[in-house]
Amino acid sequence: MGANQSSAGGGPPGGDGKDKKDKKDKPKYEPPPQPTTRIGRRKRKAAGPSAAAKLPTVYPTARCKLRYLRMQRIHDHLLLEEEYVENQERIRKAKAANSSTPASAGGDSDAIDRNADERSRVDDMRGSPMGVGNLEELIDDDHAIVSSATGPEYYVSIMSFVDKDLLEPGASILLHHKSVSVVGVLTEDSDPLVSVMKLDKAPTESYADIGGLESQIQEVREAVELPLLHPELYEEMGIKPPKGVILYGAPGTGKTLLAKAVANQTSATFLRIVGSELIQKYLGDGPRLVRQLFQVAAEHAPSIVFIDEIDAIGTKRYESTSGGEREIQRTMLELLNQLDGFDDRGDVKVVMATNKIETLDPALIRPGRIDRKILFENPDRKEATKKKIFTLHTSKMSLNEDVDLDEFISQKDDLSGADIKAICSEAGLMALRERRMRVQMDDFRAARERVLKTKSEGEPEGLYL
Amino acid sequence: MAKDDEKKPTAADKGKGKAVNGDAEKEVKKDKDGKPIQDDKKGALPAEELSEEDQQLKSELDMLVERILESDTKLYKPALETIKDLIKTSTSSMTAVPKPLKFLRPHYETLEKAYESWPAGDNKKSFADMLSVLGMTYSDEDRLDCLKYRLQAPSTDLGAWGHEYMRHLALEIGKEFQTRLNDDKSTDDITDLALTLVPFFLKHNAEADAVDILSELEMIDAIEQYLDENTYSRVCLYMVSTVPLLTYPDNDKFLRTAYQIYRKYNQYTQAIVLAIRLNDRDLIEETFNSTDDKAIRRQIAFLIARQRIWIDVSDDEDSELQECVNNTRLPDHFKALGKELNILDPKTPDDIYKTHLESSRTAGLTNTDSARHNLASAFVNAFVNAGFGNDKMMLVSENKNSWVWKTKDEGMMSTAASLGMLMQWDIEMGLDKIDPYTNVSEDHIKAGAMLATGIINSGVRMDSDPAMALLGDDTNLANKNVSIRMASIMGLGLAYAGSNKEELLEFLLPIVSDTSLDMQLSAMAALSLGMIFVGSANGDVADALITTLMDEDRMKQLKDKWTRFMALGLALLFFGQQEEVEVILETLKALEHPMSKPTSVLAEVCAWAGTGAVLKIQQLLHICNDHIEDDSEEKKGDELLQSYAVIGLSLVAMGEDVGQDMILRTFGHLMHYGEANIRKAVPLAMGLISPSNPQMKVYDTLSRYSHDNDNDVAINAIFAMGLLGAGTNNARLAQLLRQLASYYHRDPNALFMVRIAQGLLHMGKGTLSVNPFHTDRQVLSRVAAAGLLTVLVSLIDAKQFILGDSHYLLYFLATAITPRFLITLDEDLKPLTVNVRVGQAVDIVGQAGRPKTITGWQTQSTPVLLAYGERAELEDEKYLSLSNVLEGVVILRKNPEWED
Repeated sequence: MGANQSSAGGGPPGGDGKDKKDKKDKPKYEPPPQPTTRIGRRKRKAAGPSAAAKLPTVYPTARCKLRYLRMQRIHDHLLLEEEYVENQERIRKAKAANSSTPASAGGDSDAIDRNADERSRVDDMRGSPMGVGNLEELIDDDHAIVSSATGPEYYVSIMSFVDKDLLEPGASILLHHKSVSVVGVLTEDSDPLVSVMKLDKAPTESYADIGGLESQIQEVREAVELPLLHPELYEEMGIKPPKGVILYGAPGTGKTLLAKAVANQTSATFLRIVGSELIQKYLGDGPRLVRQLFQVAAEHAPSIVFIDEIDAIGTKRYESTSGGEREIQRTMLELLNQLDGFDDRGDVKVVMATNKIETLDPALIRPGRIDRKILFENPDRKEATKKKIFTLHTSKMSLNEDVDLDEFISQKDDLSGADIKAICSEAGLMALRERRMRVQMDDFRAARERVLKTKSEGEPEGLYL
Repeated sequence: MAKDDEKKPTAADKGKGKAVNGDAEKEVKKDKDGKPIQDDKKGALPAEELSEEDQQLKSELDMLVERILESDTKLYKPALETIKDLIKTSTSSMTAVPKPLKFLRPHYETLEKAYESWPAGDNKKSFADMLSVLGMTYSDEDRLDCLKYRLQAPSTDLGAWGHEYMRHLALEIGKEFQTRLNDDKSTDDITDLALTLVPFFLKHNAEADAVDILSELEMIDAIEQYLDENTYSRVCLYMVSTVPLLTYPDNDKFLRTAYQIYRKYNQYTQAIVLAIRLNDRDLIEETFNSTDDKAIRRQIAFLIARQRIWIDVSDDEDSELQECVNNTRLPDHFKALGKELNILDPKTPDDIYKTHLESSRTAGLTNTDSARHNLASAFVNAFVNAGFGNDKMMLVSENKNSWVWKTKDEGMMSTAASLGMLMQWDIEMGLDKIDPYTNVSEDHIKAGAMLATGIINSGVRMDSDPAMALLGDDTNLANKNVSIRMASIMGLGLAYAGSNKEELLEFLLPIVSDTSLDMQLSAMAALSLGMIFVGSANGDVADALITTLMDEDRMKQLKDKWTRFMALGLALLFFGQQEEVEVILETLKALEHPMSKPTSVLAEVCAWAGTGAVLKIQQLLHICNDHIEDDSEEKKGDELLQSYAVIGLSLVAMGEDVGQDMILRTFGHLMHYGEANIRKAVPLAMGLISPSNPQMKVYDTLSRYSHDNDNDVAINAIFAMGLLGAGTNNARLAQLLRQLASYYHRDPNALFMVRIAQGLLHMGKGTLSVNPFHTDRQVLSRVAAAGLLTVLVSLIDAKQFILGDSHYLLYFLATAITPRFLITLDEDLKPLTVNVRVGQAVDIVGQAGRPKTITGWQTQSTPVLLAYGERAELEDEKYLSLSNVLEGVVILRKNPEWED
């Protein structure tokens, strides 16, 4: 960490002794330049006095007595600390009570008053309204270059009450409306766009709502959930857990559905984004969004990032003159870096989904970035799966007794999960049209016809028409 | 089918079955197609919406359970077998309970009942076998069903049930053992069972589990018989790294068992390290004499010498062996390192201060007290050029120009003594250089020369015992000048630290017990005895010291500031002795004096030094709880008591990594709540916790304390910064210290300390270390820790000692100073240059496979420097190292299988 001397009077170094003796009788005490702390750099987790307060990491990660003993040792030390601090607080309170009893019981409220007073004074200094700006560069402990949304950059002073540890280049800051000096830090420095992606409400779909796909479910869980829950298993085996998976396959085979189920089941932070969201109007916004996305993910680790329709930005790179095209490629490059770049992302797992895996850039899906490629197929291969899907969709419908779904299951139609769902709802609609309370077998047959017809309409029947 | 493969426990448990699993389950279904439960294929799904196969499996299991419950005994066996088969083949992923187990759950209780009713026999045993597996998943924590049924089913092939089951069983065995032990019941059956588990664990790379279960059953020594060539090293590694966290007697047992294993597999150097850790002289000699291999004996000798243990091998036919034990060649090796690194040229203090880099407006204002400034320079010069044998201030051609004449009074003594540090280890040359100073009329210089003699001899030994001859001489030891006497006593302590040399008793004991003498002399003699017999619990010395403390005539002297060193001497005797110290503590309780409590705390922390014992830390924190406010004379003892307790915290915690980290947090609280006497000890303790290991988090905090309003705290923080970086040349610390030099340019005390710290930082031009842990941070050197502790104790009241006129106490660091190098020698002890990789050490305990032991390495050719936490390994296999730890002096042997 560069402790760049911040003294303003950086005169010629190495003036010899005699020269200085003249100034010997300078009466005023001058404090030396304070050792500058890690100003101007990104906060590093492993450094600074705050690191002393961090608990040591415990090795080995395997389940064993050594690990248990080490954890217990940490626990014991924490208990000791707690005991000591509690004792001290008690002593302090007792002493405060002793000394303040003669001076009436106003001690506490006094302190509150003083706090409120100080607070209001700070508020006065801050002024209102405050501008929101961006910290461009830290010059020294008290000065910085800031820019505001309106354009010009200013060299301003930093108020003494601002927590300098929070200041870092690129942070959002509060500026005084007249003097434009820094009066506060907005700690949430990630784009609001990113926090939207965080899934607060889990989707209702669970693994039980997926018909078939057992092996896919298992692969996803092994690659995504298990490393977050039991990292020690991988350690014991001596392998690195997979970083991410890509789900691919024909439309309507349940890729997004599976991702929803993962989100429903996991206790990890789930961030979801659609590839097209990463394409932004301004140059550099897309890559920035990617960076912030992964930063938020790392902050809330363990977390799962789900990027749907990755082909929106992940297509193969090629010579392009269009600026927009190039920007999209740059966004992908940022994504590549975040997936397997220089910094270790820790407990962040990535799930991507696409139905055009062959168009993706090979760099994006190489092992190390995406360790598992999971194919989603139409369920027609296995009748059991088809049946499961049918029963899933019809389980909440009121069916007539003559309905025998096996008929559809045994037919060798090329149906995806979505098609099956469409048949079921179509059949329901038909029944509605005829104001019946139950869905009949005929409805299903008709529905199937319609779905198959509309399905084939989209594509040419054959080559020679 | 894949079934047979899937039976392997590892495959099943680690959830690596991948897509095969789905198929496998389907296959199970098809295999059993003939069974009568296939009928309801079209039936409506039950409420839980089981999938087809699950449903089928469930009904099959239901049916099998029915059969077991029925009376037809013929069907029992096939039914049990089928259920077992199903359980074994269920290859679920780790994320869920295996399905058969899930479906059998509702039947568990009925099955249990059925089991009770069955007649004894093979079937019943088989049934118990199955119930044991089911018991793992279903029963409550404290019922231990798994174990209960396992005991009733004489073990068949346990491993077939998988890893998870084995571990669970091991867990329950541990619990059951404890309960039985409490109830005084026999434990034979479960120990037998446990012993059958051990080979399984060892075979499956789970040596941690094997060690764990045996240590639960308190029979760790049994592990030896199960080991072989391939497993012993991992087991021993695990055992040894568990030791710091165990309490007595477990830790001792672990070490001894590991020692036995190493002995069995002829790993002499690893065995000797453990023997040294055990501090068992018999074991050390046993290992030493267990091999006839000349080179290995020499290597062992080097390891013993590193710990400063004095053993006599003069009757050995190998004449050079004695040299190895005596460390006689140390100066040659050290100078070879200096030559390799091209740092033989002496440095002046100004090269270290780099005043031109200090903030310009203050530079040069500092020479207000030039004698003191010169004294600081003498110290810096001594530290920086330590061991190199040349400098530009002391070893000049004419005696008249020597720096000694630029200092005054006690300053002269320290300056003259700095010769010892400059010439350290090089006894013959050094004594020549010192000789002129012994003939000077100035008493202080003579005293300094005595001290220098002691320092030179610290860490090396000569058969002629020049130190004893010179210092023990009546003209010196009984000189009427207090300084000379004092220096001679101190010199003896330094020269023979850790030697347990009985001859010295007759020199020093009379000085301790002579009540007519000054406290200063007696205390110093006590301290020297403490250093010489450190950690030996020598009865004679302890008795003498206790009698002195109890002596009526001494009572009035006990308030003297020097008394603390008497106490320290007593404490050092019991260094690392743990429980042995209790006797002394009881005796001290009887002593009605303010000094008695500090003495007992000091003795206690020394006894438990490096153990990491949490209970001791708790006791010490309790001592720190009180706030001492009135300044009365009575309370002085209590103030000292708390300061000792703070230093003790770090002395106790330094033995083990977790404690080292955690105690730093506690120091933060102590600093926040503590009174002045606690606060000033905290920086010292922080320095002690990681000497020669400049960790950012520690020196950042110390840097803050170095600007503290309380001058004592600031001064101690500055010294601690020096200690933290001692011998590392850490650039960041150097810059911080330069800033401090300009900050404190008007405070002579603080400035003096800054200079000392700068000297320490560049000690030996960055080639030395004062860390008491060596040999891969495994062994605590008592001598080194004692030296550090002495300096720190004197710094608790820095203004009375180091900053007053007893600055020569700083030379106690000499016992801790060692080169942090790796020197490689061939079997004839000739220097050998090989390439080694030097990198950050990685903790590989309990990791799978054969992980790398170092990371981020660079390849260099020996001799090389090793920083704290660094490890070296040989680049190729042309040579084999006789020592398993590449540190210090290592002998290499040519690999007979090597081909160019």
